[in-house]
Amino acid sequence: MNKYRLYRLLTEQQELKDKRHPMFEKNRFMKILMWFMVLYYAAILLLMGAMLPMGFSGMYPGVAAFHVLDGALPWLLLVDFWIRFIVQETPAQQVRQYSLLPVRRTFLMNMYLLRTAFSTGNLFWGFMLVPFGAICVLPLMGWGGFLSWMLGWWLLCVANGLCYLLCRALCMKSFLWLLLPLAVHGGIVALMLVPDKNPLDIPCTMLMYEYAKGNLIYIIGAAALIALFYWANYALQMRMVCNEVAKKEEVELKSTTQMNYLNRWGALGEYLKMEVKLRMRNNQVRMQFLVGIALIVFFSVVQYFSDVYSGAFMSSFVCMYDYIILGMMTLITIMCYEGNYIDGLMARRESIYALLRAKYYFNTALLIFPFLIVMPLIVTGRSSLWMNLGYMFMTAGVMYPMIFQMAVYNNNTLPLNQKLTGKQGNTMQQIVSFVALFLPIALEKLLVLLLGDVWGYVALIVVGCIGIATHRLWLRNIYERFMARRYANMDGFRASRNS
Amino acid sequence: MKIQIENLKKSFGEKIAVDIEQYEIKDGEMLGLVGNNGAGKSTLFRLMLDLVKADGGRVLMHPSVEEQNQGIVKGSVDVAQTEDWKDWTGAFVDESFLIDYLTPDEYFQFIGRISGRKQEDVDAFLQDFEQFMAGEVVGQKKLIRNLSAGNKQKVGIVAAMLLQPKVLILDEPFNFLDPSSQSAIKRLLVDYNKKTGATILVSSHNLQHTVDICPRIALLEHGVIIRDIDNTDRQAATELENYFEV
Repeated sequence: MNKYRLYRLLTEQQELKDKRHPMFEKNRFMKILMWFMVLYYAAILLLMGAMLPMGFSGMYPGVAAFHVLDGALPWLLLVDFWIRFIVQETPAQQVRQYSLLPVRRTFLMNMYLLRTAFSTGNLFWGFMLVPFGAICVLPLMGWGGFLSWMLGWWLLCVANGLCYLLCRALCMKSFLWLLLPLAVHGGIVALMLVPDKNPLDIPCTMLMYEYAKGNLIYIIGAAALIALFYWANYALQMRMVCNEVAKKEEVELKSTTQMNYLNRWGALGEYLKMEVKLRMRNNQVRMQFLVGIALIVFFSVVQYFSDVYSGAFMSSFVCMYDYIILGMMTLITIMCYEGNYIDGLMARRESIYALLRAKYYFNTALLIFPFLIVMPLIVTGRSSLWMNLGYMFMTAGVMYPMIFQMAVYNNNTLPLNQKLTGKQGNTMQQIVSFVALFLPIALEKLLVLLLGDVWGYVALIVVGCIGIATHRLWLRNIYERFMARRYANMDGFRASRNS
Repeated sequence: MKIQIENLKKSFGEKIAVDIEQYEIKDGEMLGLVGNNGAGKSTLFRLMLDLVKADGGRVLMHPSVEEQNQGIVKGSVDVAQTEDWKDWTGAFVDESFLIDYLTPDEYFQFIGRISGRKQEDVDAFLQDFEQFMAGEVVGQKKLIRNLSAGNKQKVGIVAAMLLQPKVLILDEPFNFLDPSSQSAIKRLLVDYNKKTGATILVSSHNLQHTVDICPRIALLEHGVIIRDIDNTDRQAATELENYFEV
């Protein structure tokens, strides 16, 4: 078989893998929602591309609008990098299933790296850049300038994508590698926000201007950067695949945590230990947790150093986001990881109820993390103590009861140690995640309007406390409804396991 | 514990997986379940463990007088209607029973503690399985997911027996096991049955092992029990060999 036919065959298989995922096949809503989201974000970017030139001209008279956007290059690349954690798959796993077939591994690795590097996803920013460039660059630099400016952006996005891929692969080896992009990006953000004048502004503007002028050296420079990241990815991922296939990786635990202090809670303590170990020992779950913490830190840093989130709505939104994000990331898919061993759990009396209780206590205890992270903001008066307390109690007493309802409806198993493809999930998960973000803000605004600043938040705390105090009642209700749907759920978990 | 199956039916689309009108497994009996692939053995076990919904019929567990006197349970139990039976039933069907990010020791501790057993009892119980586990399961700093298929099988079987159940259900327990472990588990099951009087159900494709340990063997095909073979004197071997044309 020639290489092109092999390429077509493997590409078709990849497409079938996505289309035939049991949850995706069943879920018409997800298909529609996915296209809706693509169109929605494309429309937003188009609108931004059309409106920004006017805005920039008003804000910076005498400066070409595209220079202003070019100055914001690091922001765009930062957003592009972190969004990839949600939407992009690592190619190493795709290579693995073909690694024992008579297909050269080098071909497979090159194929998937090239597909990932030059995927249409890297063109998504084009929805903003094309109209923006057509309005600002084309009249000043002509078609040649417009096209080479676009080429510059695209090359940097491709390099950014390969850089993400490298970090993602390293994170699969050890989650501590996540600190690398966090440190680098944190440094860049600090450099842009702390000094009075952003020192990266002019170099970035000049860089993109060289692209607009069609400077071949800069284009070759970007291509060289892509080649460097490509080579690093190739070397690292090929080694990882070989190690995985040969089972060379370290399988012995360096240490096992006993957590004997949880023994005092008997069976419940065992489920709490399980919750901790679920996060410590499974890449996918651990990554969700760390990305959640990273997002809280990121928003807090931005809030600390800039006024971007100082408006009434945005400050509420970010504050709520700080408390709900960890629950959103892990509880929206509640029971989906347990789908991997659901039969074992179901063979034990009331194990699901004990598990739900353990999950509630664990996630409620985790709320201390965002509170500690935003503490500097509270101390410096950039965030209200009452608002933070209000949202913290609201999350534990109102939002968690709502999100925990997903335990009744979730029935797709998620892999513990692989990458999510983004096609899993169901209708209820989407609705709850939207409501989880906006309901508390609406409630807070209503209470603050009716009762004033402090008493509004006190009311939130009281409402939250009622939810916390009655947790056994609503968890029991969830458990009973779960048991009523158990056959359908177990069928779903089995069907989606290993798919 | 006596187990009674009444008009139990389960289909997947057009395919009938289980269709058993009446069947009774006596208290303390050791039943072997044999049949070709797709005969419905695993589905029958899943129905008995309430892991899939029956299209019709029910599975009842009847405690013996002694078990009723011990206060284990008062009357008969329909497995789809209550969770009481989970207190006295141990089972291992496949890897979906194992929490694979725990070490075997942690998993045994977990099963022991959620069943209300003390750690000392769990440790003492595990000593009886030392030969079966051959020093490759307990005391290792390995997660279950990193164990070999055979050792995972051992973890599942030991965990099912850890509860000292009155009803023990094992699907293909000899799979993946080395000859020494197969021999060991056969002896352990027979001893456990004699010592505790537990009702044990074992499915297997290995006719020899099934004949060796089970005084009664049910032959299942297309979801129906087509033969109920008395094997008290190991006379089922010839009949089974003839049926499967071994």
